[in-house]
Amino acid sequence: MSDIAHDEQVHETTGIETRKLAMWIFLSSEFMFFGALISNYLLFKGRPGFPEPYPSEVFDIPFTSVSSFVLLMSSLTMVLADHALHKDDQRSTRTWLVATALLGMVFLAGQVFEFAGFVTEEVPMKLSTNPAASAFFTLTGFHGMHVLVGVIMLLTLVGVSFRKGKLSTATGLNLESVALYWHFVDIIWIVIFTIVYLIK
Amino acid sequence: MAQAQTKAHPEPKQYVQIALLLAVLTGVEVALYYIEQGGVSSSIVYPTLIILAALKFVIVVAFYMHVRYEKSLIARFFTVGFFGALMLYTVVLGTFGVLASLGGQ
Repeated sequence: MSDIAHDEQVHETTGIETRKLAMWIFLSSEFMFFGALISNYLLFKGRPGFPEPYPSEVFDIPFTSVSSFVLLMSSLTMVLADHALHKDDQRSTRTWLVATALLGMVFLAGQVFEFAGFVTEEVPMKLSTNPAASAFFTLTGFHGMHVLVGVIMLLTLVGVSFRKGKLSTATGLNLESVALYWHFVDIIWIVIFTIVYLIK
Repeated sequence: MAQAQTKAHPEPKQYVQIALLLAVLTGVEVALYYIEQGGVSSSIVYPTLIILAALKFVIVVAFYMHVRYEKSLIARFFTVGFFGALMLYTVVLGTFGVLASLGGQ
């Protein structure tokens, strides 16, 4: 391994860069985490005998559709940042990273607005209203926390690029890991949007 | 030492085209939601919604996460995690009779 730079360590057996491999294994394990939360929601969403409203009665589908669109487009800006770095186009890399972070923040703001709407309805749906509401807030809340962590990582990359003057190909691999994480958050939302919001 | 064997990634124009496709699929999903509200059987709409979500999922994984262009080992890691979770929770939800309601009434 002596001929390989410290930042570019490749796993001996797999030939895959170590941090990238670690991110893939982490994301693979995240399916179990979100699978549990989605299953929990599906178990409780139609269970009768609890105070109303249930989540499906208060959803604002047009609003959530726009939020979903915003998150999908953030995957586009993320992949464009990754592409720009591989072309060593530092200015475009920063621009797309900032655009991705902004779209992530718009999605989060939308989620806060959505939750605020639920708890201020004439008949509010709060965390403790019924098990379905608890499961809904837990699932979407944890997804939102993942988006927040992604936004923090994106802004950290932008900060690093300004502090060091540029993102190198070595740190480019870090950007690639953040990009994988960001796209994963997007695919989880694709599942949540369909299973939780569109299927009653 | 094993060397990475990756194919060339798409160009920005192709990424934009993929994003447009994803946007259209999302639009179709939302339209299907309202079609179901309008009285079309959920036994038709719900499976279609799941297929569309699966399609969007695969597109993002293949093209944006570059699984299509990376070493096959990465796809295997991803597949094991995804299908492992899918099988586990399918059994759990099947045990509780939840899956029948997902198939539509």
